[in-house]
Amino acid sequence: MTSSTETLVLNRERGRPWLRYLALGLVALVMLYPLLWLVGASFKSNGEIFSEIGFWPSRFELGAYAKGWKTSTEYTFATYFLNSFLITIPRIIVTVISCVLVAYAFARFEFWGKKLLFSVMVGTMMLPLIVLRLPQYLMFRELGWLDSYLPLIVPSAFATDTFFVFMLVQFLRGIPRDMEEAAQIDGCNALQLLWHIIVPLLKPAIISVIVFQFIWTMNDFMGPLIYLASVEKYPVSLALKMSIGATEEVEWANVIAISVVALIPSVTVFFMAQKHFIEGASSSGIKG
Amino acid sequence: MAHLSLKKIEKVYANGFKAVHGVDLEVRDGEFMVFVGPSGCAKSTLLRMIAGLESITGGDLHIGARRVNELAPKQRGIAMVFQNYALYPHMTVYENLAFGLKLAGTPKTEVAQRVRHAAQLLEMEHLLERYPKQLSGGQAQRVAVGRAIVKKPEVFLFDEPLSNLDAKLRASMRVRLTELHRNLRESGQPATVVYVTHDQVEAMTMGERICVLKEGVIQQVDTPTALYDHPANAFVASFIGSPEMNIHEAQLQPQGEGLAVVLGGQVLPLPAAKAQPLRSRSGAVKFGLRPEHVTALPREGSLAVPCSLRFVEHMGSEVFVHFSIGETAMTARVPADQLGELAGKTRGAAHVFHLQLERCHLFDAETGANLLL
Amino acid sequence: MYENKRLGFLFVLPFVLGVLLFKLFPFVASFALSFSQYDLIDPPEFVGLANYQELATGDPLFRKSLGVTLLFAALAVPLRVGFALFIAHVLNFKMRGINFFRAAFYLPSILGGSIAVAVLWRFIFSKNGLVNLLLSHIGIEPIAWLADEHYSMWTIVLLFTWQFGSAMVIFLAALQNVSVSLYEAAECDGASKFQQFWRITVPLITPVIFFNLIMQMVHAFQEFNGPYLITEGGPLSSTYVLALYIYDQSFRFFNLGYGAALSWVLFALVGGLSAFSFWSSKYWVFYAGEKERK
Repeated sequence: MTSSTETLVLNRERGRPWLRYLALGLVALVMLYPLLWLVGASFKSNGEIFSEIGFWPSRFELGAYAKGWKTSTEYTFATYFLNSFLITIPRIIVTVISCVLVAYAFARFEFWGKKLLFSVMVGTMMLPLIVLRLPQYLMFRELGWLDSYLPLIVPSAFATDTFFVFMLVQFLRGIPRDMEEAAQIDGCNALQLLWHIIVPLLKPAIISVIVFQFIWTMNDFMGPLIYLASVEKYPVSLALKMSIGATEEVEWANVIAISVVALIPSVTVFFMAQKHFIEGASSSGIKG
Repeated sequence: MAHLSLKKIEKVYANGFKAVHGVDLEVRDGEFMVFVGPSGCAKSTLLRMIAGLESITGGDLHIGARRVNELAPKQRGIAMVFQNYALYPHMTVYENLAFGLKLAGTPKTEVAQRVRHAAQLLEMEHLLERYPKQLSGGQAQRVAVGRAIVKKPEVFLFDEPLSNLDAKLRASMRVRLTELHRNLRESGQPATVVYVTHDQVEAMTMGERICVLKEGVIQQVDTPTALYDHPANAFVASFIGSPEMNIHEAQLQPQGEGLAVVLGGQVLPLPAAKAQPLRSRSGAVKFGLRPEHVTALPREGSLAVPCSLRFVEHMGSEVFVHFSIGETAMTARVPADQLGELAGKTRGAAHVFHLQLERCHLFDAETGANLLL
Repeated sequence: MYENKRLGFLFVLPFVLGVLLFKLFPFVASFALSFSQYDLIDPPEFVGLANYQELATGDPLFRKSLGVTLLFAALAVPLRVGFALFIAHVLNFKMRGINFFRAAFYLPSILGGSIAVAVLWRFIFSKNGLVNLLLSHIGIEPIAWLADEHYSMWTIVLLFTWQFGSAMVIFLAALQNVSVSLYEAAECDGASKFQQFWRITVPLITPVIFFNLIMQMVHAFQEFNGPYLITEGGPLSSTYVLALYIYDQSFRFFNLGYGAALSWVLFALVGGLSAFSFWSSKYWVFYAGEKERK
């Protein structure tokens, strides 16, 4: 029996692997150049930004960072970042809890309407959610939740981020039930099973959920845009918008610097967990 | 239908590992040649090198009159049947069979004719419109074979085609394939076949000649009977034949005018035919005797040896008896109606077994080479 | 324990509530709203099909927006999916550093929806931004990407395409699932690399292509951040996608009934395209699936 590496060696022996590496390298460079350039530009002077295509700054100036951080509002980005985390962290927590519970139900249990609910779940992944925004807004308005973080956090407590439920279900389906059966014989009830057996096995998938939800929430724009009115509650996404929205004359250097800072949490989390969640993302696609 | 010639074929991988060491082999036109050996012996690698799926790092490969080292599989005139069939799941059986021909630009009528002919040969005309996922294992394998036949190649290559089938199916497919080969030859379209397997039963029953490989080195190339009767070394001797030949360390010592073998504390005088060529030797050897050449009842020319019984496996028509000569464990293969007294004996009992020493083998203690060849 | 239906339902209850409260109810409410006139101050007033009539006959901005949205989807989705497939194919060989490349291509799709990137995009496409600088280095006149209605669409299309990484990793996983011996058999059949790609690879991954096309189509029709932040729907409404129009009507002008009607048109559009895709899939999507026995 031949291993896939042996056979691929042949195809590539007669092919030209370096050509592929070159092509990939070029594309990667083009793709990432804007980001590289952004980082470099954050250290450049205003004049240099507009004249140099090379991304390496001739001199490292940190002025833009300081000014950008302070912003032209009465709050610094410290406030805005704090706000972002005030939205993101609770949201992640409730997402993980609710999605794990619901995924557990779909993957293991039988219950009334299971097929229907599953189709609904898959269907909502394809719904243009925009159609729901307005009524949700009115609903939250009735509840008096406008200008608070509740509309951004509470829905996630009900497993409404169906992508995550789907991903967890797919992952769970791949886990054999032997250990759960053994635990049941040992007398575990459902919650104990979930906590002691399932959750540890689900760890990679849960990490994916956390990473995705973190990044998506940190970058969420439309949600905060619709629901938040007071500037002191603005997360980073809205604050960034503010810095370019006000006038025609944009302090680009500052904006660029602060954009870099805004991206740092997402990029950091991404690199810390990238191997994990790329696999989670790809497996949820093919088994569909 | 072509002659296949391998001269000093070598395979060295990028990391320096040498998988195939200087293989020289000639496969005759229309011959059914089997490559057999344990896993890791490089039989599949060798096959894939013939196919063009692995590069040849040393030596020359000729198919027919052409040197094909640098040619792509398509240009070599080969057709391969894969272990996992490799049928295109998104095409019907017909399309699977026709694919290669269509790529080569063969006119539609000829494609249809060749496909139907192959389907007829393999009795699968009724499967032509089905998809691979609707086929059983045996049917899928036939389609894989059909795909090869349709190409009218110079050499057929089979890579362990039956190992994914269950035992019964394997047995019937074995017969089918062998018959196919012989039929093709009789009808004037002889097919040169190289068939890789790890199963020595397949090798023995299907092959006209067998090439036994170990760790990338050819051990022996011969007909099944020759391999059975005159194995070139202890490895071939133990690989061919089931249950395995009894091979044990023993001592050669002079005995009167001839030689005797000391095995498990027993002195076994060798027949003159064996002793003669080894006159000058003494010391350690490997003694080999096939289980079928140990009987429970006396036979002409056999030597009676006292042994003790270990246990017995009943196979229905025959019995595998495991016994010991002294400390040496042996196996005998006895027809069920020739058990004699053995039938009533229990574990640990003593019994006299009869060794047909004129069928024994003696191998060099270090190299394993057959001393009597 | 797993047959205990009540227990199962208990676990899934949050989802059931979530669907009812945050999906089903708003869904129905939005439908009802689309037949009314509501500005948040006075109570809603039932107006029958007036909103829809207005959309169908009297609103040139709607027609423009619809056209823009369709154009955007028609450009961006094939580009994104096509690129994803192409790169996944190039990546699909025994190579060192595959993790690096996967991460490198995936990163943009993570960051692409953020404001920071939208800001970046707005900047690099501005009159003296990076893109024009690069173009001038190769002798092309600077293009007024953001000010010229013929080019503005490309900025948001490029942003959308830039984020192909998420679709790519899905393709890559699917490609790696195709058995190598199929390619070997094809090689023995005489198929060139090109033929192998089109006649073996692509047919076998049609389910994944289908999945990606639908998901990306749904995303494309809802694209908001890019058009909002980079081009602000202009110039001259050349990037005024429906999502923007809905937002403006609902949350800036508080023309809620109209906004609801608009969102329902978008919904129907996406729904219709999805349904069409599903129907057409039986002609071109091949599911390898489990063994069936006749």
